[in-house]
Amino acid sequence: MIRTVKPKTARSKRAMDKKEPQIVENPKMTLFLRGKKCSQVVQLAMADLCSVKRPLSMKFTKKNAIHPFEDAASFEFFSEKNDASLLVFGCHSKKRPHCLTIARCLNHKLLDMLELYLDAETFRTMSQFKTPKAAVGLKPLLSFSGTLFESPTPNAYTLAKSLFVDLFRGQDTPQIDVEGLQYIINFAASEEVEGQPPPQIRVRSYRIVTKKSGQKLPRVEVEEMGPRMDLRIGRMQEADELILREALKKPRQLEPRTKKNIDMDIMGDKVGKIHVGQQDLSSLQTRKMKGLKRSRGDMDLDAETLVDEEMADTKRVR
Amino acid sequence: MAELDMEDAPVLASPTSQLQSELEDGVQLLNNETTTPSTNGNHANILSNGKSRAPITVSKPIPYTFDLGHLLCNDTNPIPQNPTQADLTAIARDCAQSLLNQLLTTCPITSTPEGVHLTLPTPTTPLPREKNIPPPKEETTWEKFAKKKGIQSKKRVGNKVYDDATGEWVPKWGFGGKNKGTEDSWLVEVDGEKEQREGKADDGRRDSRAERKMVVKRQERREKGNERRAVKNGN
Repeated sequence: MIRTVKPKTARSKRAMDKKEPQIVENPKMTLFLRGKKCSQVVQLAMADLCSVKRPLSMKFTKKNAIHPFEDAASFEFFSEKNDASLLVFGCHSKKRPHCLTIARCLNHKLLDMLELYLDAETFRTMSQFKTPKAAVGLKPLLSFSGTLFESPTPNAYTLAKSLFVDLFRGQDTPQIDVEGLQYIINFAASEEVEGQPPPQIRVRSYRIVTKKSGQKLPRVEVEEMGPRMDLRIGRMQEADELILREALKKPRQLEPRTKKNIDMDIMGDKVGKIHVGQQDLSSLQTRKMKGLKRSRGDMDLDAETLVDEEMADTKRVR
Repeated sequence: MAELDMEDAPVLASPTSQLQSELEDGVQLLNNETTTPSTNGNHANILSNGKSRAPITVSKPIPYTFDLGHLLCNDTNPIPQNPTQADLTAIARDCAQSLLNQLLTTCPITSTPEGVHLTLPTPTTPLPREKNIPPPKEETTWEKFAKKKGIQSKKRVGNKVYDDATGEWVPKWGFGGKNKGTEDSWLVEVDGEKEQREGKADDGRRDSRAERKMVVKRQERREKGNERRAVKNGN
């Protein structure tokens, strides 16, 4: 636990207020850490991830003796100290070769964690692709291919999806420039087969090249720009259900205000309900019967008396 | 949707001219610039001259789902075991194409001098927050009292107030402020009775200042009390 001091200056107070829980949250910072032993491959992979994530990333180069699945206290410390809620930890051992651990924190306490083993053979860095790269700080397009990511029961792949979306989404914006849609990151996992190791998650990033199609929408071509990673699933730590439910809550203040009598139907059309006032039933034209006829006295006998009774009645209604 | 493909035009031509057009592809492209393109419904991609432009639509057995707020595309079509690089690229291309199609067709587009902007919907994929939702602030003593009494907060308009005596707008506080009383006056009457009662020289300026300072002190004390109470109640 980091000791908290009462801020003495307005500036430090502002800095501390920034770290407090907010209703509208700042984009999550990602901290890249390395273990005591960290292979060249993992280091390169982390450097690439860090550069893709810039400016919402920090990279520390010192060696840390952390074993996150045994004791996550160090992660929590780093998270609190740097106000970073996403951590990517790289290490390498014989048992866990080229291991990347993605961890996520809530309130600087560890929420969930997933270990991914990088395939060193197929790994390619960004610099190995001699193609133009996307600009810094852009939101990537994300796509998840494969049935495993959409599994109704939570598994390592759904956790991986959640973590990857959180890692790469960057800042949430209500508006985006069309020019900014420059690259796509695709995550693909094939089907699970009995008796075989769980399928790898294949991470590929592509630059998007749009071509004229002669129509309104462009034809999209993709060009791989790296990094290319094939990841095997390792250990995982899922979030506690109660804590996760708390973390997924939306603040009341951000809920859209509902206006009375204005609705949206399932087609997305705005539907209003208006009150038209009470209907005057006394002037309603009902069926005519001889017995219900008004007496001759209160009929106005004008020039129009020659016209049949029905006409005269409608006149009066008018 | 009007699919206006330039190479669509020769559909109108006779079979013999189609053969010709296959041979002189380059020339034909030039010619097509001048001819009006035919609106041929959906056969933009099945072209008579054999050379088709790549399609812009993606058709898959299982349609994609999108979360446009996160620029996310979910593709649940099964992937072959040990896919090749080309397979993965094709999958990614299809995703990118359909995601861009979806974005450009469903999101409202506004063009400004800075660029063309898309208005994204709110994200639907649930992701955990970074920190918990901040708890509501503890009510101060005044707020509690005001609520009980039904006192509405007045709208404050700046630090200026109309001075009836001079007919000018003066600041409520600060330099030349209205709250100064006799503090800043160049001449203050001495209260003879008060001098006699207290047995020392009367200084109207000093008293006025002391009174103002005391109001400030009292308010500070109240604020501290509110803070202390908020901390004690765990906020």
